[in-house]
Amino acid sequence: MSSVTVGRTVITLAAAGVLGFAALLLWPAPESAPRLGGLPGPPTPALDVPAPASLEREPHLAMWAVVEHPATAREAPGAGAAVARLRTRTPDGTDNLVLVQRRARDGRGRVWVEARLPVLPNGTTGWLPRGALGGYRIVRTHLVVDLTRRTATLTRRGRRVFGARVGVGLPQWPTPRGRFYIRSKLVRYRSSFYGPLAFGTSARSAVLTDWPDGGFVGVHGTDRPDLIPGPISHGCIRMRNSDIVRLGRLMPVGTPLTIR
Amino acid sequence: MHELSFDRLDVDGALADAAERAGVMSRGTFLAGALGGTAALLGFAAEPAAAQSARDVSILNYALTLEYLQASFYTEAERMKALRGRAAEAAEVVGAVERAHVKAFRDVLGGKAVGRPSFDFQGTTEDQNAFLKTAVAFEDLAVEAYKGQAPRLQANSALAAALAIHSVEARHAAWMRYLFGVEPATRAFDQPRSKQQITRVVNSTNFITGSPSTEGRRTPSYTG
Repeated sequence: MSSVTVGRTVITLAAAGVLGFAALLLWPAPESAPRLGGLPGPPTPALDVPAPASLEREPHLAMWAVVEHPATAREAPGAGAAVARLRTRTPDGTDNLVLVQRRARDGRGRVWVEARLPVLPNGTTGWLPRGALGGYRIVRTHLVVDLTRRTATLTRRGRRVFGARVGVGLPQWPTPRGRFYIRSKLVRYRSSFYGPLAFGTSARSAVLTDWPDGGFVGVHGTDRPDLIPGPISHGCIRMRNSDIVRLGRLMPVGTPLTIR
Repeated sequence: MHELSFDRLDVDGALADAAERAGVMSRGTFLAGALGGTAALLGFAAEPAAAQSARDVSILNYALTLEYLQASFYTEAERMKALRGRAAEAAEVVGAVERAHVKAFRDVLGGKAVGRPSFDFQGTTEDQNAFLKTAVAFEDLAVEAYKGQAPRLQANSALAAALAIHSVEARHAAWMRYLFGVEPATRAFDQPRSKQQITRVVNSTNFITGSPSTEGRRTPSYTG
């Protein structure tokens, strides 16, 4: 073989090698081969989830529950004398409810709930089986009626959000003092005497015990705004109609009521 | 006993089936009930939000409802102060996370967000064992729900959010299973659940209730 022939062969082989290498580079990679460095970054999530927040201290929180099944309230969890028999409906035709105070177990491990009750004597509490009550509900409002100053003040989370002058019971039919709760809300009834809106409470007149439906004390409007403030009622707390309408927007049922 | 009687609540066996599949408890040892208006709540017909498809809004609202359920459950458990030890700690930590999820969904949905239903947890927040059983089932259910809906989300940003929450719910599920004394992970492959399946399970618990009737129209009979 001449040197020229050898040289051509070397060049041919070299050219074939370059072409082959180029072909290898251009040949599509099998689908299973990894492709590194080509992945896009993660998309931005649609939600901006805040940091977990612990429950605040809740000094102004009150809890209430509906009476789901007729039940006997007792002096102690699972024991003691009967304090009251509770129905599932109020005389207003609404669901009956109680203000929850605390809970405890009896000797057999059953849960009982101590609740403020809408019975005489005012201020009565009793223990109800947990199963007689519905789900717990909470409010952060509190209505305080001052009989001396003849004012009603509503607070939410401890801050005053409403205030009004009120009419209260005459000396012979005093508005009862104590700790109660708002039990119902009545609207669109036909009675100008009670104004446009009335709240039912768990307070009862200790004097007018033969009053229809038990002599419950209400917080309501009036057809005699000229008498407010003053000792004018049979025990109910009356306020001007514009005030009771405003209170109706601010105060949920279940709100604790203090009359002092 | 009311607060522990999951058995009496097992209406259609749906949740029991979920729990059984999770290996947590046998059939008949779970929750129950009727969802009241919640079927409608879970079947949202939201209009498209500005940057979201109607389908995504619907799915996000569905997730929000499940987050309401979980957040309310843990919050009530913390308020009742009936739990002890690690269960009490877990309720506190997981509750804070679930409340954050609720806030996130409400923020992104804005005016399209569904409202919080009323709940009656029927004593399960007041008993250590009942709490843990329910927590395991809730967390497993949430994981299955997110898994079921994630592939249906149309926006990548919504999918990213769902996946971010899904893994957190899975951690919660493992945590609650550990506390309850069952294996956190026994299967190699988890199955999703459809919205219909999840809704049926939630319906069966009776935990979501209607609002009490506290407003009436009778003429007052107060002393006046």
